[in-house]
Amino acid sequence: MGAEIGRRGFLVVAGLLGLSACGSDTGRGGSGDGTLRHWYHAYGEDGVQDAVRRYAAAYPGAKVEVQWNPGDYDSKVVTALQNSAVPDVFEAQVKVDWVRQKQVVPLDDLLGDTRDDFVRSLLDSQTVDGRLYGIPQAIDTQVLYYRPSLLSKAGVTPPRTVDELIDAAKRVNAGGVRGFFAGNDGGVNVLTAPLLWSAGLDFLSADGKAPGFDDPRAATVFGKLRELHQSGALLLGAPTDWSDPGAFVDGLTAMQWTGLWNLPKIRAAHGDDIGVLPFPRLDSRGAESVPVGAYSAMVNARSGNVDAAKAYVKWLWVEKTEYQTEFATAFGAHLPARRSLAAKTGDGPAKDVVGFVTEGGRIANPARWSSRANTALTDAVSRIAREGAEPTGELRAALQTARDEIARLDR
Amino acid sequence: MRRGREALTFWLFVGPFAAGLLLFTYVPIGWSAYLSLFDAHNTVAPTEFVGFDNYVDVLTDRAFLDSLGTFTVFAAFIIPTTVVLSLGLALLVNRIPIAQVFFRSVFFLPFACSYVVAALIWKMSLFSGVDSGVANTVLGWFGVEPQAWVGTVDPPLYWVVLVTVRLWLQLGFYMILFIAALQRIPRHLYEAAWIDGASPGWQTFRYITLPGLRGALVAVLTLNLINAYQAFDEFYNVLGDSRGYAPFARPPLVYLYYNSLGSGGQDLGRGSAGALVLALVIALATLLSGKVSRRRR
Amino acid sequence: MTRIAHWVVLALAVAVFLLPFAVLLRDGIGADWSTVADLFSDKELMFTRSLVNSTVVAVLQTAGQVVLCSLAGYGLARVRYRHAPVVLYAVMATLMVPTAVTFVPSFVVVSSLGWLSDFRGLVVPGLFSALNVFLFRQFFLDFPVALEEAGRLDGLSRWGVYWRVVVPNATGFVAAIAVIDFIGSWNQFLWPLLIAQDSDTWTIQVALSSLLTAQNPRVTLLFAAAAVSILPIVLVFAVAQRYLVRGVTETGLTGQ
Repeated sequence: MGAEIGRRGFLVVAGLLGLSACGSDTGRGGSGDGTLRHWYHAYGEDGVQDAVRRYAAAYPGAKVEVQWNPGDYDSKVVTALQNSAVPDVFEAQVKVDWVRQKQVVPLDDLLGDTRDDFVRSLLDSQTVDGRLYGIPQAIDTQVLYYRPSLLSKAGVTPPRTVDELIDAAKRVNAGGVRGFFAGNDGGVNVLTAPLLWSAGLDFLSADGKAPGFDDPRAATVFGKLRELHQSGALLLGAPTDWSDPGAFVDGLTAMQWTGLWNLPKIRAAHGDDIGVLPFPRLDSRGAESVPVGAYSAMVNARSGNVDAAKAYVKWLWVEKTEYQTEFATAFGAHLPARRSLAAKTGDGPAKDVVGFVTEGGRIANPARWSSRANTALTDAVSRIAREGAEPTGELRAALQTARDEIARLDR
Repeated sequence: MRRGREALTFWLFVGPFAAGLLLFTYVPIGWSAYLSLFDAHNTVAPTEFVGFDNYVDVLTDRAFLDSLGTFTVFAAFIIPTTVVLSLGLALLVNRIPIAQVFFRSVFFLPFACSYVVAALIWKMSLFSGVDSGVANTVLGWFGVEPQAWVGTVDPPLYWVVLVTVRLWLQLGFYMILFIAALQRIPRHLYEAAWIDGASPGWQTFRYITLPGLRGALVAVLTLNLINAYQAFDEFYNVLGDSRGYAPFARPPLVYLYYNSLGSGGQDLGRGSAGALVLALVIALATLLSGKVSRRRR
Repeated sequence: MTRIAHWVVLALAVAVFLLPFAVLLRDGIGADWSTVADLFSDKELMFTRSLVNSTVVAVLQTAGQVVLCSLAGYGLARVRYRHAPVVLYAVMATLMVPTAVTFVPSFVVVSSLGWLSDFRGLVVPGLFSALNVFLFRQFFLDFPVALEEAGRLDGLSRWGVYWRVVVPNATGFVAAIAVIDFIGSWNQFLWPLLIAQDSDTWTIQVALSSLLTAQNPRVTLLFAAAAVSILPIVLVFAVAQRYLVRGVTETGLTGQ
């Protein structure tokens, strides 16, 4: 499944489609007959599409048509929101620009007394200026998988600090099995956030008004990623990327950073010889963490039936808890977005992860962290880690871009 | 009167096409130019006029300038390579007495393959970083360590992947252009040269074949140039991943896509400005190459 | 000796060019034909439907392009109209503009026409190829004027000359352009991805992308789908390829 963090846009030659702006609502389906159009991105797991169609068919309040969208779904949503009445309901991660352009409607009134039951950080990630724009559907998170047998054979304990991770990767790296895999770019994209958190930093400051990595420790922690790159223990050029369990399942690596959702496949391959950990901390001033992301159900402000759409969202994602549980747990490992449901699920590694999320869950994609700021930061991290550039200067440029972007959002 | 009839005839022939071109190309170009002068975040009907700010922004952006620079180097490499190899293939095929059609077909076949499919084959099979990848198997025969290819930055082995996939996809097409040109060179020129004592190797190539290919060379150069700067598909598919694109080997269009046009932040004003700057660079490069090749004549 | 070297080089080149296809077949179909059957039975993929859609789009687009662009090319080459050069420049200038420049507004134009998830939206905007017009014009410039004049003497109008004399004598060239257009249309991806929002209108490349973009891509299925998706192109190519070189030779594109 794949919320924001699991999404895999790669290979979609989605080229410039993203820019496809909008147009009018004269396309399909101005929903004059009261039919609601509900968009999902194309989930990779078998059965999800059938399930969500089943939920839609069961809704007593209106006719709901589910649209399954392959390809660069996020771009498609951005396009549609600009002035199309379709979709009425869709899953996404809220962006500040959408709120500024009044493209989505607040959904605070749907939660009622269930508000406290939703995992707090998930609600926060869908909140802009104090108002909630998406109802979380499930929790997606990423963890560090390892093979206890391989670690103990090499005489290392499961890594709880970044240095231990580097050390463990080096020591288990032998005989065709690499030490650690975090994507074919060596973790630049997927580890940037956990590395910041490990040093007690973040993309944004606590109030969201400034970059959160204006600190010499940022240079230190990205230097650690450089060290990992130079160790020769990283798996690079695997046939599938970090979001796929392939490399770990096929025994190409002893440790891999990937989605919790891959747990069923990994367990099928390695049985009990698996362990999970949050991303380790740099030192005592940082913390262990897991990124938390989730597509949430949102309502298009241009829908012809905003009230009907809200009622449907409330029915599906607030009231029908049995569907929420099935959606989160039956098709690959996710966690329900509500604590009362999460508490009932999971055993073994999944249970551990509930703890990671409660204690160290961090928002993977803050609404105020723009893609341009993100590109500037990951460019810097890439140059530091992969090409050995001098960290401080690279980060200074990224900080400047991040400041400009934050200023733009508040203009 | 007669002039009026000719005008009518002209528009009968050209009119339907011209109307479509106007609606689906000129209107959009004009619209982009308009957008480039506005702050157009997530909208195509912007209200905040910003003058040339978007252009200043793009032209002072190190990453965008880097990508323009990289692709100038890329063009400088890929164009001569393509010309030499596709001409080489054309000469090879053109000289054989039998089965020409077969060989021509084999070399042209990749042109029919989509970039998506080709990128898939290159990334996941041929240049897969695992030991059993095709390229690594070949290296293994010579006792060379397996490489990560796409994942290797130092030395930049990803260029091997990107350049070979592009060559494979396009060589056949340019080969056809050259074969067509070769077949237009009158045979009697060669015969006359042999009678004059020219040797059938380098001399006839230099003084008869090459001059006869001038038109084809200009066509191949120009098409190649435009394609090199507009590179997107195979780069996006080979080096892009779920979250972004590395700062190296990043084509200008990929950069604009991720930063101004894609899902995260639609900054259409800046995106349009960047795309228009790119169009200008392409136009200048085309004019320049045209000038150079005319002077050589 | 040089002859042997010549054949050795050719054979090597053939091996190199065919290797990727061999790999595709090995990974896609080689292991198990049942994968191909899975492709056609998987309803989430819309594989059969998308093959049909792609065929419809490619055929309509190819036919439309050939008709529109050959007419325009002929008009530009033959009709003496004092503004013709300006029109020609206006056509050629669009070749230099990256599609990225026009993508957003093109989409807006199409969606205001109400052509989203509609075959018109997939086909029509792609009909106006400046490159095709240029190639047709070059071809018609070299077309023997004597033939046309004979037609005029027989009492045919300009229009009559075009249909009865010029077109029947240009079949080889038209076939060449048609093959290239068909390939381009079959392989296009971005535009259909954007326009075909309903899965009923997906083309084969969009269906492929749904396999590729899954978080856990089904690799075998992906390779099988890729292999099947290039089959129609290979067929078209096999039938029409003999026209290609002849057609290109006739364009004047490569001439002096």
